[in-house]
Amino acid sequence: MRFPKNSLKTALSWLCLLFLASCEEPYAPEVVEGPNSFLVVSGFINSNGPTTIKLSRTQNLSDESAPKVQSGATVALEEENGNTFPLRETEAGTYFASALPIIGDKKYRLVISASGDRYASDYLEVKYTPTIDDITWKTDDGNLQVSVSSHDDQNNTRYYRWEFEETWEYSAYYYSVLEYVNGQMRDRDPRNQINLCWRFNNSSSIQIGNTVRLSQDVMSNFPLLSIPSNSEKLNRKYSILVKQYALTKEAYDYWEALKKNTESIGTLFDPLPTQLTGNIRSLTTPSEPVIGFMAISSVQEKRIFISRSDLPTGWGIRSQFCPFDTVKVGEEGEYFSGSGYLPVDRIYSNSMALIGYAGASSSCVDCRVFGTTQRPAYWQ
Amino acid sequence: MTPLYRITFLLAAFLLLGLRQGNAQTSSPPLLTLSLKEASFHDLIREVENQTRYRFYYHAADLDSVTVTVQATQKPLKEILEQAVAGTDLRFSITEQNDVLLTKGKKFVATLPDNFFQRNENLTKSKPLANEGAARQPFIPGEQDKKKAVSEAKLYVIGVKRDGATGNANLAGHLRDAKSGEPIIGASVYIQSPLLATTSDQYGYYSLTLPVGQHELLIRGIGIKNSKRRIGLYSDGKLDIEVEEDVRSLKEVLVEAEKDRNVAGMQMGMERLDMRAIKQVPTAFGETDILRVVLTLPGVKSVGEGSTGMNVRGGSTDQNLILFNDATIYNPSHLFGFFSAFNPDIVKSVELHKSNIPARYGGRLSSVLEVTTRDGNKKKFSGSGGLGLLTSRLMLEGPITKDKTSFMVAGRSTYSDWLLKKLPQETFAKSSASFYDLNAQISHEINSNNTLYVSGYLSKDKFRLGSDTLYSFANHNASVKWKHIFHNQLYSVVTGAYSNYGYGVNSEKNAVNASDMSFSMNQANLQADFNYFLNSKHTLDFGASSILYNVSPGSLKPVGSESLIMPDVLQREKALESAVYASDQIDISPHFSVYLGLRYSLFNALGPREAYTYAPNEPKTESTIVDTVSYGSGKSFATYHGPEYRISARFGLTDHSSVKMSFNRMRQYIHMLSNTATMSPTDTWKLSDANIRPQVGDQVALGYYQNFRANTVELSVEGYYKKMKDFLDYRNGATIVLNHHIETDVANAEGKAYGVEVMLKKLTGKLNGWVSYTYSRTLVRLNNPQVSELINQGEWYPSNFDKPHDVTLISNYRFSQRFSTSLNFTYSTGRPITLPIAKYQDGNVQRIFYSDRNQYRVPDYYRVDFAMNIEGNHKIKKLAHSSWTLAVYNLTGRKNPYSVYFRSEAGKIKGYKLSIFGQPIPTITYNFRF
Repeated sequence: MRFPKNSLKTALSWLCLLFLASCEEPYAPEVVEGPNSFLVVSGFINSNGPTTIKLSRTQNLSDESAPKVQSGATVALEEENGNTFPLRETEAGTYFASALPIIGDKKYRLVISASGDRYASDYLEVKYTPTIDDITWKTDDGNLQVSVSSHDDQNNTRYYRWEFEETWEYSAYYYSVLEYVNGQMRDRDPRNQINLCWRFNNSSSIQIGNTVRLSQDVMSNFPLLSIPSNSEKLNRKYSILVKQYALTKEAYDYWEALKKNTESIGTLFDPLPTQLTGNIRSLTTPSEPVIGFMAISSVQEKRIFISRSDLPTGWGIRSQFCPFDTVKVGEEGEYFSGSGYLPVDRIYSNSMALIGYAGASSSCVDCRVFGTTQRPAYWQ
Repeated sequence: MTPLYRITFLLAAFLLLGLRQGNAQTSSPPLLTLSLKEASFHDLIREVENQTRYRFYYHAADLDSVTVTVQATQKPLKEILEQAVAGTDLRFSITEQNDVLLTKGKKFVATLPDNFFQRNENLTKSKPLANEGAARQPFIPGEQDKKKAVSEAKLYVIGVKRDGATGNANLAGHLRDAKSGEPIIGASVYIQSPLLATTSDQYGYYSLTLPVGQHELLIRGIGIKNSKRRIGLYSDGKLDIEVEEDVRSLKEVLVEAEKDRNVAGMQMGMERLDMRAIKQVPTAFGETDILRVVLTLPGVKSVGEGSTGMNVRGGSTDQNLILFNDATIYNPSHLFGFFSAFNPDIVKSVELHKSNIPARYGGRLSSVLEVTTRDGNKKKFSGSGGLGLLTSRLMLEGPITKDKTSFMVAGRSTYSDWLLKKLPQETFAKSSASFYDLNAQISHEINSNNTLYVSGYLSKDKFRLGSDTLYSFANHNASVKWKHIFHNQLYSVVTGAYSNYGYGVNSEKNAVNASDMSFSMNQANLQADFNYFLNSKHTLDFGASSILYNVSPGSLKPVGSESLIMPDVLQREKALESAVYASDQIDISPHFSVYLGLRYSLFNALGPREAYTYAPNEPKTESTIVDTVSYGSGKSFATYHGPEYRISARFGLTDHSSVKMSFNRMRQYIHMLSNTATMSPTDTWKLSDANIRPQVGDQVALGYYQNFRANTVELSVEGYYKKMKDFLDYRNGATIVLNHHIETDVANAEGKAYGVEVMLKKLTGKLNGWVSYTYSRTLVRLNNPQVSELINQGEWYPSNFDKPHDVTLISNYRFSQRFSTSLNFTYSTGRPITLPIAKYQDGNVQRIFYSDRNQYRVPDYYRVDFAMNIEGNHKIKKLAHSSWTLAVYNLTGRKNPYSVYFRSEAGKIKGYKLSIFGQPIPTITYNFRF
């Protein structure tokens, strides 16, 4: 339930209109327009696999250019009273190490030198992530609910975070047997099939959970996401890869705060925005904000597949609307030379004479509009 | 009745029911010995008055140029005076009461015609005998239990005069309006030499201990004619004084009253506004608005336009005790705060205490706002009303039994629904917004010592704004007061009051989600207050009170059979808040007085309740709940108590300047939960319990007061420093509604506020009003990691309503008796705000980086309002008086930001500011009374 925010806003606009005043005006406070270029550190330190750290800079809110990456920095993992292990820049702003020699009972910190400033995270303890026991799903109230279960016999983990990558097989609404190439209509080459694709989606919302209230460290069926029964994702076959990370309490608090940050904040009727204090600081200018929270842990992954046949009947029927158009012979160049409209099939008269072509907008015909025809290696 | 309360009540009754007696004596005509040569007549009078009990009455001017030469040994006064006035045009009369009346030219006839008493009776009832300048009439002999003093000229004798009587006697009674019989509140009653003064209380009651003898009693008050009464006080007695309304001052702003209260009174951090003043201030919708005017006072701020919640000296909106005829009002606004919940026609006065809060009030940290209604006309049937663009109101009052019982009923309603329907847009046509409020009250004088007041109040708001959701909220209040006068110096008021506040959110558009959400709370309080005017040096107040709270913090229920909403009901909360208090105002000398008050409050959270226990020294979160404890009905499971000190002192520097200081401690056991900075209809209230501690606030204040130009210009400078402990601030992303463990979403914050308020008031004249400047800061800190996450690294940060600079000008100019204008100006620093200052890419998600909490400010606020009042003629005996008010709100049309927010539009985050009254708003109101 969401109130009173929206209603009160409506009320105010209502009062505005009552007095015929233009009430809402653009507002750009100086600070918002000011040059804000703080270092952003994202990624985590993988204790049993490749580590990727991305460095970038914050941008002005009205800046529409692509995100600015921080290239040319030196990034290294520093053992407390010990060795330093560098990461190397593989592409601009991305720093990588294939395997860092991390020992469980030691503490490490990430050190960064960029644009003449030095930054370091707090010293971090190493968290071991327990394996994912199971990824389960159930159909409930018109939704497919995917949940994850895990446990730690040592009762050490307690705080969990997940990311997931969704993949689903997807076919275009119409199966096109024709292609219009170089002003010629011809049968579609099977190598150019555009009906079956795979689409991908990575989790954007923050998924965190804890077991601190439980006597045992058992994470049972934590709901990760829910997919409506008419989603295109369930049309053929769906797969989800879940990555699990163990968190320290501090890291958990940070992610929780970040999660609670809502998308529009600052009005009288919104809750106060969440302030994020990460664990990375500037050593050169202590007052300079640095964004990000570094953690060291292993990562555990698990993938499952769900076919449409596993689901109740009636599920996975798409609600896409695709009108079918008829194009007369001779007019095909007019319709199909652009990329917005694609031929589907030939149309014959009762006497089997070719009288035209059926066509539809490319989003109804070409699955590549949304996905890729490249079958993922893991696809079963 | 709690046992504690009962004991206090009985003790008080027994201890203080002392009987007082005066005794009678007769006197014989004295003889005088005098020797004066070329002396002034004044010297003669002084001599005579020194030697005998004769008292002279005269116009000083008549005697100025008169010199006397008298030689007398053991002669009666008559002979001496004959000698003295020989050769002048002075004449004298000596009454049986040893009064000497000196007149010029014409001798005063001291013997009364036979039918004098009869005639005088009639005169008393119809019109006051205001023959100023004529010689005084002698008193009317005879025993009168209680006198009603209407005449300025007459000598009212209280008790029986006796020779050589010394010492003090007490005079008490009610000040009433001669026309309506309504009590006159806050008027000064005093004698000048020696300066002994008191102020009539909210019942118009005054009690003054004076030296035995004859005095000229002066009465000054808001909207009444300055008047005086001659009294001869010989033993304790009663004198009810009826004074005339000052018709002319209808247009005269305000605080004419208590002209030297600023300097001479104990009050500091206290403002009293008369309806007359309030009516002058233009408002957005043309309707007189009490709270809007209170917001113009120094030290009182609001977060934004159109929000009624007020922040007094850095306190939050829930820290104000708003009393309406002694019943607590929880939501003092209508229609999102664009109207205040009080019908202006029935309100008599508004009193705001910002510091030095009297011991009889408690339960809130920042202020007490006491709204008092009139009693109703005890003499004749009358009424008043108004027609405005959005609302109309009507009030009727009159006697049920003349001079004994009066009633008053009033109602107010809006027709904005009608207006909405007229708007072209469909959403508005589907919207509705309406409110009404009703008042009814009866005051009944059982006898001269007992008066009963019954009052009831109901207000209701309903709005549906282009959506399917219907919001409503309502206040229900009732109070019964019984005032009993034990004797002149002691009276008690026993009050029983009931307040109920609730809101509901009803949504029925989608049958599956159809639901009803509601919150309600009620409180029943019983209190007894005693005022004991011990003597001219001590005024004692004491009493006890008890409040039983009952809160239904929220329930969500499905509506209709198709609804899939899961019912969710939070458990009820119950608590008892009790307090005893005593205070003594000690007037050590005319230049030094102190007020010592102590209140002790006790709070018990009562079962039945299932209460969570949290791990100690850990932030309270769902994950640190270690146990659930169940408490039986009526069982006290959390107790808080503590003393509240109320101390102040006044040092008179000169007759026209003084310094005052005060120290106050307040405790608050009930907290408002709101995730917005203003008051909104869906704010809920939460009682202290095992997991929510009470708030405690301390305030020290120091002020300098000076009056200029015969008390017509008042200057006050007040500084304060305030510390608040354990008030509730929200954790990031707190959920307020239907939260079963609200303690996990709030944190005990500490706050401090300090500031200086400078105010210059001009009280009389064609141009009047006030100008004030306030510098104030209010800061909050959340720095205990065991309580919650740190905000702004645990440093002090500005609260939502920290507006350091504030300048307000309220001015009125009277062109004639019937035409006046007012011009108001307000400036304040913009409200603090947390801004998004940058965006960044985190993985594949764009996120926003925010500044420290409240690090930035919205643009400054300023507004100019203008109003014109046009009155009909001022013939007192007109059938109906009417007036027109034409006002323009926000004359310059400045678009003051009400709210600043950011939206993501096509991948770009854009800032917007919303102003509500972004252009001049003209209004017209017609007011009438009959």
